[in-house]
Amino acid sequence: MVIGHRSKCIYQQIIRMLQFSEEGDAERQIVVKFVMQVDNYLKRGGENVYLPDFEYYTPDSIAEACQLLSQFGASAKVIAGGTDLVNKMKKELLAPEVLVSIKNLDQLKKIEYVPGRGVVIGARVTHNELVKSEVLNEKYSSVSNAAQQMAHNQVRNAGTVGGNICNAVPSADLPPIFIAFNATVKLTGVNGERTLALEDLFTGPGKTVMTQDELITEVVIPDQKMTGSNYIKFGLRKSGALAVVGVAVAVQVENNVIKDARVALGAVAATPVRAKKTEDFLKGKEVSDELLAEAGFIATGECKPISDIRASAEYRTDLVRVFTKRALRKAIDEGHV
Amino acid sequence: MSVKVKQDYSYVGKSVTRNDAQLKTTGRAQYTADLKFPNMLYGKLIRSTIAHGRIKNIDTSEAEKLNGVKAIITAKDVPSMKWGLSPARFDENIFAIDKVLYVGDKIGAVCAVDEETVYKALKLIKVEYEELPAVLTVEESKKEGAPQIFEEYPGNVNTEIHHKFGDCDEALKDAYYVRTDRLQGQRTYHAFIENHCSIGMWDGDKATLYSSCQSVHYLQYHIARVLGMKMGNLRVLKTHVGAGFGGKLDPTGLDFSAVILSKMLGQPVKMFYDHEETFLNGHGRHAIGMELTTGVDKNGKILAHKFTAIMDGGAYTGLGIASAYYAGSLLGVLYNIENYQFDCYRYVTNLPPCGAQRGHGQPQPRYAFEHHLDLIGEAIGVDPIDMRLVNARQNNTVTTAGYEVKSYHLGKANEMARDASGWKEKRGKLGVGRGIGVGNGGFVTGAGFCQYRTDLPHSIGMIKIYDDGTQAFVYSQAIDIGQGSDTVLLQMAAEAMGIPYENCKMYAGDTDLSTLDFGAYASRQTLMAGWAVKRAGEEVKQKILEQAVEMFKESGRIKEGWAYIGNRELRPDDLDCKEGIVFVKQEPNLTLTFEEVARKYFVTKGVLIGRGWYHPGKLGGNHKGAAVGTSPAYSSATQIAEVKVDMETGQIECVDTWDVHDSGTIINPKLFHGQVHGAFYMGIGETIWEEVKFDNKGKLLNGNFSEYRLPTALDMPPVLSLTVEDSWEPNGPYGLKEVGEGATTPTMGAVANAIYDAMGVSMTELPITYEKVWRALKDKEKNEKK
Ligand SMILES: Cc1cc2nc3c(=O)[nH]c(=O)nc-3n(C[C@H](O)[C@H](O)[C@H](O)COP(=O)(O)OP(=O)(O)OC[C@H]3O[C@@H](n4cnc5c(N)ncnc54)[C@H](O)[C@@H]3O)c2cc1C
Repeated sequence: MVIGHRSKCIYQQIIRMLQFSEEGDAERQIVVKFVMQVDNYLKRGGENVYLPDFEYYTPDSIAEACQLLSQFGASAKVIAGGTDLVNKMKKELLAPEVLVSIKNLDQLKKIEYVPGRGVVIGARVTHNELVKSEVLNEKYSSVSNAAQQMAHNQVRNAGTVGGNICNAVPSADLPPIFIAFNATVKLTGVNGERTLALEDLFTGPGKTVMTQDELITEVVIPDQKMTGSNYIKFGLRKSGALAVVGVAVAVQVENNVIKDARVALGAVAATPVRAKKTEDFLKGKEVSDELLAEAGFIATGECKPISDIRASAEYRTDLVRVFTKRALRKAIDEGHV
Repeated sequence: MSVKVKQDYSYVGKSVTRNDAQLKTTGRAQYTADLKFPNMLYGKLIRSTIAHGRIKNIDTSEAEKLNGVKAIITAKDVPSMKWGLSPARFDENIFAIDKVLYVGDKIGAVCAVDEETVYKALKLIKVEYEELPAVLTVEESKKEGAPQIFEEYPGNVNTEIHHKFGDCDEALKDAYYVRTDRLQGQRTYHAFIENHCSIGMWDGDKATLYSSCQSVHYLQYHIARVLGMKMGNLRVLKTHVGAGFGGKLDPTGLDFSAVILSKMLGQPVKMFYDHEETFLNGHGRHAIGMELTTGVDKNGKILAHKFTAIMDGGAYTGLGIASAYYAGSLLGVLYNIENYQFDCYRYVTNLPPCGAQRGHGQPQPRYAFEHHLDLIGEAIGVDPIDMRLVNARQNNTVTTAGYEVKSYHLGKANEMARDASGWKEKRGKLGVGRGIGVGNGGFVTGAGFCQYRTDLPHSIGMIKIYDDGTQAFVYSQAIDIGQGSDTVLLQMAAEAMGIPYENCKMYAGDTDLSTLDFGAYASRQTLMAGWAVKRAGEEVKQKILEQAVEMFKESGRIKEGWAYIGNRELRPDDLDCKEGIVFVKQEPNLTLTFEEVARKYFVTKGVLIGRGWYHPGKLGGNHKGAAVGTSPAYSSATQIAEVKVDMETGQIECVDTWDVHDSGTIINPKLFHGQVHGAFYMGIGETIWEEVKFDNKGKLLNGNFSEYRLPTALDMPPVLSLTVEDSWEPNGPYGLKEVGEGATTPTMGAVANAIYDAMGVSMTELPITYEKVWRALKDKEKNEKK
């Protein structure tokens, strides 16, 4: 473990720490690059102020990480890719005194298919690793496609699945598609592990049921009967735009009849939400354009969007209608896309 | 008719590699913020947190106690002379005196040993205000009894312009069809990637200022004037500049503070903005409310046009006065309009000041006009391109306002764009949700007058040949802000001298070292600095040829009675020099190298220097305000855009674009196409996405690049960029005209017209966002049901 110490100019400090720690894995290189980019950006008169001082720990085991989190309590934060946390610190929305990096926890970096459990995705997997994952491309490329639509390439290289979930931002792109697959998350804390459905994790914007000492360690997509799935992100440009609306669907279709359906909506409520009435409406019905259009209408009743700088509530609501219909059509016709 | 004399040029017309390509692509190019000097200190501005109010007290005591803070200055510590563009509107101080006028207004500056301390100190400064009611929109600003922002602008009217040519009312009476439209533009921002940064330092009574700017000359002029210095005692220079688009032409608080603080402290001082502060510095495009009334005959020929522009100027004037004039001054250039009227009101509001942004004042009025033209065409059943062909200006004409237009091929540009885009097969035939639209535009190639009253020439070029003739050093204060002006100036200098481009090196943008040029604005440098360096190159060549004659004679290689020379002596005009070889024109095997001739010159006569001079002279237009709009040459262009509109969500995708430019000779095709591509990028962005937003307290809401949405690479369509081949401008060196700003002027019209063609609802407010399109389609649906 690198013992934390007070750091003055934090970017230089992080760069040094990353450069001088023993082994040189690719992820570290990427982080170094990212931090250096941020650093250069700052020198050019980047977006904002200096980070407040903090102590920095790099535990070598999950248990150690949880121990640190428990020890420092509310003044400590986990740092994964840092794409969200560092921004918040720069804007002084957060001022953790201790950062616990999970960069040494390589067991959180895998995507693998475990028979009987499903596809297990480690919390430290980056968005671009989702994009490139062979397992996902083969089984659920809708997840890879969702990741591909996120942020920019630079952020996709650094941002992680765990960070995206723990942020609990209503517009986050990964939760809806995971929820459509009825995915679970594994939380590990000083008192051991627990598993819960992802959709039960969120309690409000930025809020989850996680306790201070808990880490997300993995997301599991259980084995599916669903024959198709799709996530549509609607942003106000083609890249680097947060979702104004995100609609994820998974369907089980046999002989043109919908056996099962799950619909999850992002960016239209305080948390990602399931459109359960829409799901119930679809079940057992024969696929038709009219049916899907009707489903879209029903879904509009299941969201509570707000108006903000990006879109009005009215617009978001109508977009839910359109994209529920379109995502269903894609999942029905094209499988897991 | 000006017809291009086809010449066999060595460098003009070639896509030579940019002189800064390696430096920039390898990251070695140094921008102002990269520079470091021994003992350098860092500083930032103290900014107002309210939109309008009196400063009651500034408490700096806590900040001063902070370790590392070197100085904190406010209005009381600096000269109180005001500056601006036109003396009647000098209304800005280095730091606000008594009153702040917008959130972000300059109150003072903090200087410390490092950046971090500066940020910390800023937080410890407490400014107490007496808040005054603020006006945040033109509507509020106009109201009876509205809070007055400046004593000198009663009713908050900062500028009023009334131009009247011919007799509109009379002409409208005879019109076959008359139509009025109202359209609204938005406030946009330059979004250059390098933020402002300035470094000041002193040596005795001489100061040096590094600034990321578009004109070292104007900056030197303004700073010297306000600080009471001799211009010669203030050296202003720049390194590489990460773009400007008009936003680096007005002096900033950083420039003044860097000079003042470095004098006070006896150490170099670097002042810088972050992105949000650059937004607050403002000087971007005005939001213009526009009303247009036009009368046409059966064929769409414009008989009369009335245009009213209501501009939201923000807090100070700066270049905004010129923006106001440019909103209407080129009205009669593109299309031949004999009767027209232009009325403009520029209001002040409690928001960051607006000013020049690529196309200066023109792009929104062009959008309005081009869309209005399509609506007229639709009403009378004339195809949009035919509408434009009927009205397009011709070569060698004089506009109603008296501007002389030499080369002009707008008609040709329309025809070429029509054919290249497949217009005839596409217009009106693409089906619901797809559309194609056209827009025309153009610009001045340099302004006819200096920004302040002076008899100075507009550009001076100088070339010094290195002692052994192997290098040519080209001097000019022209500013390469990324557009590639250094490269094209070197191309023209190399061509004029007849030496390899690779042997030429630029010393630009330094008031001590290089020679006068007014800088990068009004699309002027390629023409004006181009003339200056071309003439300097010609003087070098003349001296070389004279020297070569002497050398040929001395060498005995030219014998009396030799065939070509006959009975007379060899003269310089018997010779020429190309690509470094001096030769006898009638006997091309008789050669000397430029290098040996230049070296001989140096040995026998001293340093070899060429000088060039340019002044546009007296140009057309006599009305008040003619100075904005008069120019030695006018470019024109036609752009066509094809779009897809998602009829359910309002999402717009620009799928293809075409541009045909009438820019005279193209000095460097690659750079030319780059300008066109960039212009589409900006224009498409301003049509669909970009808008600077404020809350109801005047606080900036989107001073960053995630919420101030520029298009991304994925949003950009392919661009086909073509030129009118036989365009040749007699007033431009090598027959050239501008492309930089004019290229942004047709885009919004073209894209907006394509959107109209796709969705069937006229969108009259920029930006045409997805949500606005969605709403318009919903409203249309509702109305149709009724
Ligand atoms: C320019 C930009 C664009 C973006 N665009 C998008 C987008 O399009 N879609 C989108 O969804 N998001 C977007 N984001 C947000 C962000 O990048 C993602 O949410 C990303 O996945 C966050 O992951 P991270 O590893 O960087 O998180 P970090 O910033 O490291 O952490 C985020 C939060 O999660 C906590 N945390 C992280 N990992 C764990 C863990 N394993 N256990 C417990 N707590 C943990 C941290 O303590 C912190 O509170 C964007 C961000 C930026 C800067």
